[in-house]
Amino acid sequence: MNSTIRRHAPFWLSLAAGIASWEIVGRNTSQAFMVPFSETVLRLWQLVRSGDFLTQLLDSAQLFMTGFVIAVAIGAPLGLLLARVRTLRVGVEPYIMILYATPMVALIPFILSIMGFGFAPKVLVVFLFAVFPVLYNTIEGARSIRPELIEVARSFRSREWALWREVMLPYTLPFIMTGVRQAIGRALVGMVAAEFFLSSTGLGQLIMGASQNFDTGGVFASIFVIGLIGVGLMRVGLMIEHHFARWRQ
Amino acid sequence: MSETAIPALASTARTTRTIAHGTLVPRLLAGLTIALAWEIVVRAFAPAYVAKPTTVLTAIPRVVVDPAFLDATAITLTAVAEGLAAALVAGTAIGLMMGRSLVIERILRHYINGFYAMPMIIVLPLFSLWFGYSGAARIATIIFAAIFSIIVNVADGARSVPREYLEVARSFRSTPMRVMTDIVLPAATPYLLAGFRLAAGRALIGAVVSEFFLSVGGLGYFILYNSRSYHHNEAFVGVLLLAAFGVGFEVLVQEATRRFMPWYRRDEKS
Repeated sequence: MNSTIRRHAPFWLSLAAGIASWEIVGRNTSQAFMVPFSETVLRLWQLVRSGDFLTQLLDSAQLFMTGFVIAVAIGAPLGLLLARVRTLRVGVEPYIMILYATPMVALIPFILSIMGFGFAPKVLVVFLFAVFPVLYNTIEGARSIRPELIEVARSFRSREWALWREVMLPYTLPFIMTGVRQAIGRALVGMVAAEFFLSSTGLGQLIMGASQNFDTGGVFASIFVIGLIGVGLMRVGLMIEHHFARWRQ
Repeated sequence: MSETAIPALASTARTTRTIAHGTLVPRLLAGLTIALAWEIVVRAFAPAYVAKPTTVLTAIPRVVVDPAFLDATAITLTAVAEGLAAALVAGTAIGLMMGRSLVIERILRHYINGFYAMPMIIVLPLFSLWFGYSGAARIATIIFAAIFSIIVNVADGARSVPREYLEVARSFRSTPMRVMTDIVLPAATPYLLAGFRLAAGRALIGAVVSEFFLSVGGLGYFILYNSRSYHHNEAFVGVLLLAAFGVGFEVLVQEATRRFMPWYRRDEKS
């Protein structure tokens, strides 16, 4: 009991100190630049009560989930396939590496001018942000499978499908989950980028609208919430990753 | 917690080995196939202004001598370098303190992790309020994008300094400052490099995004402007250059790690 208090005390203390300094700085600077914590929370409460917040949140969540799920559904199987077909992997791998390192935001203007303002181009942006970490980590994982495992499976005449299900997928899953964790963070960036630069919807619109109306309280409230969502999603990603990391050597 | 690690280290070693085994042919073939598919799809289904390999190739010689392009590149690279340098210095200092002092670590940890998990581009509306639609807001965004991965990784590194080193230093009565600069910092350098590699990628994204958002001149704005005026081929040359920078940073840091810290291996943990 005593030890849990001692363990958690620094966290609560630092949280209290952070909020206090936010409040003090906020009260002593111009309202146009910074609003104190209390006012941010108040503004957030107004947004929640007016219903604006919830509709925008659901809108963003829909975009995030669609892009993210498609990215995992394509990235992971494709990664396994590439790991299995050696020639294909050797050929394609450098291009995947290049795309992995390219700042995907740079493609947004092209997507905008070719696909316009609908839902599909925004999903494409989230997908492009999220798919490469999944693909990259899956390939890395699948090619670290010890060849003996596949040889043993083969000598027991396991069929291709059984090989995937019994050997490759279980072996690669922890690596895929590392990719999933990274993809969550990137998909969130992609979501906000799509909402900023394509048609303005969701939480991105909430910030943009507030910023254009010089509603600093609204800007802080939205950033605060998206920050919390980011932290929460990161936690979820880490939990998923740790859960599957147990059998990873 | 952090995205530490250098996962591609082992693969570089592997790639250099496999090139000798004649993997060049499948690579070239795959590249040609991708380019051909792209060309055919665009020719068949897309309007004429959409970038395709042949027209991008013919645009390259035109664009690379265009002073507007060169200026934009110089501006963006300068901003990225300045922002990265600031983030490196401040991030290393904060990271070292966090790694070696339990109190500082406990005070700052949640804030650093929180800011690190935040999608960095949401600060743009705020920074545009604070700094105006200017280069200052861009630098601020780049620093914000880059600093947290450096802090997190350096703190990790400083925490994992072998205790014997510190004990030896103490028994020779080193001052805390000397311990920090001569033992902790060198021991944390591989982590620092891993953090820097992530930071460089994030800084590049931060620069491009802030130019989109703030409409300040630079490579990102060059891409935005040209694609808006249907000069997709010219704009795509900018994307290629960004990709080259992204890959260049990766290769540079990997090579540096391999050459100067050959004992350092943390391949599989990312």
